[in-house]
Amino acid sequence: MATERSDVDLIEGDVVHAFARAALLAALMGAAAIVTIPYPLSPAPVTLQVLVVFLAGLYLGPLWGGASIVLYLAAGAAGAPVFSGMTGGPGVLLAEPTAGFLWTFPVAAALVGLLVHRGTTLIDPADASLPLVVGSLGIGLVLIYAGGMVWFSWLTGTSIVEAGFAVAVPFVPADLLKLAAAIAIVRSGRIDPT
Amino acid sequence: MLTYEPGDTIVHRLDPRSKLAVQIGFAATALAHTTPRALVALSALTAVVLVVARVPLLETLYAYRFALVILALGPIVAAATLGSPWIDLDSGLTTALASYRVLLILLVSAAYVRTTPVRHSRAAIQRTIPGKPGQLLGIGVALVFRFLPVLQSDMRTIRDAMAARLGTERGAVDRLTTLGLLGLSRTFDRADRLSLALQARCFSWNPTLPPLSFSRRDAPVLSLSIVLVLTAFL
Repeated sequence: MATERSDVDLIEGDVVHAFARAALLAALMGAAAIVTIPYPLSPAPVTLQVLVVFLAGLYLGPLWGGASIVLYLAAGAAGAPVFSGMTGGPGVLLAEPTAGFLWTFPVAAALVGLLVHRGTTLIDPADASLPLVVGSLGIGLVLIYAGGMVWFSWLTGTSIVEAGFAVAVPFVPADLLKLAAAIAIVRSGRIDPT
Repeated sequence: MLTYEPGDTIVHRLDPRSKLAVQIGFAATALAHTTPRALVALSALTAVVLVVARVPLLETLYAYRFALVILALGPIVAAATLGSPWIDLDSGLTTALASYRVLLILLVSAAYVRTTPVRHSRAAIQRTIPGKPGQLLGIGVALVFRFLPVLQSDMRTIRDAMAARLGTERGAVDRLTTLGLLGLSRTFDRADRLSLALQARCFSWNPTLPPLSFSRRDAPVLSLSIVLVLTAFL
């Protein structure tokens, strides 16, 4: 077995700090899959995961927020039971009917982060104006739905409208509740973003 | 729940990179072909993979039950039409075939999950993706595996504490806010302690990687994945 013989190249403190938060938020995203809300309309359980995507963008910014959700997807592909219904494995990302949502999660987190923080320098989201936060989360949610519907319609050969009825419409009310919760969390100012 | 099981099958001894290559090859060709004949061939290949990796079929199907419900919903939604004749069988059949290939891909991927320990997946990531992003991705995946049970227990604790205080009687937004707020602040507390611990232990860009090497038995598996990818273009 080859051993590295070069000098130790330490990772900078601020990178370690941001990375640890991103990695643990990815684990929280996986843990959120077990907290289900009883919801009659949907065939799959409604989980907190979209809320965690919002929080990743809001509190980690565009760079580490997106990276955090990428870590979540990579861990799921490696077999961690982090996807809804506590499943994992590369097949879920490659072919599951709702994998379109998963693929758009990191993009949505990065977009929310970019819109709220207006760049890669982190600000406290509690200081951002309310319309900005609401608008950014709304755009993120629309993006997630677009990804999920396009993927489902491509995979199963249904039309976009049919895909919307199968995988989007049943979830809209629950996701709007999560959007409201994300705003309440930001306005509470109880999370330290640094 | 679908998870890694130690074992001594031939699949356990393969390099994780060749196993991943088969996944990608299989998914590529299954997504490219939905003819009944192609699906029969892919079903046979899936059966071989499941037998060689000793994956229990019923247990795996149960683990993927929510995906199966949505897969079953696809053909029904596609077949239903507004107005006469109300049911379009052809459209439903096309979607049913498309759903079936997804089931096959999920079963083949179950063989990967069942036979590959986390340290192998992590080594495969760090050796395949070059530079700093690959290092962080590999370590990050290992951390997610490590902290998943910890944060799951945090979430259960929060949920039980809310229930004990009649939190279940509150509105949905109120409950979601409490769960999110407490979950996130606990997670960030743990992350800040972890970051300090990592720095105290000289967390570096160039750690010694776990050993990983292709062997002779990987050759046929890698060839199979190349053939599978090529058949996607037929």
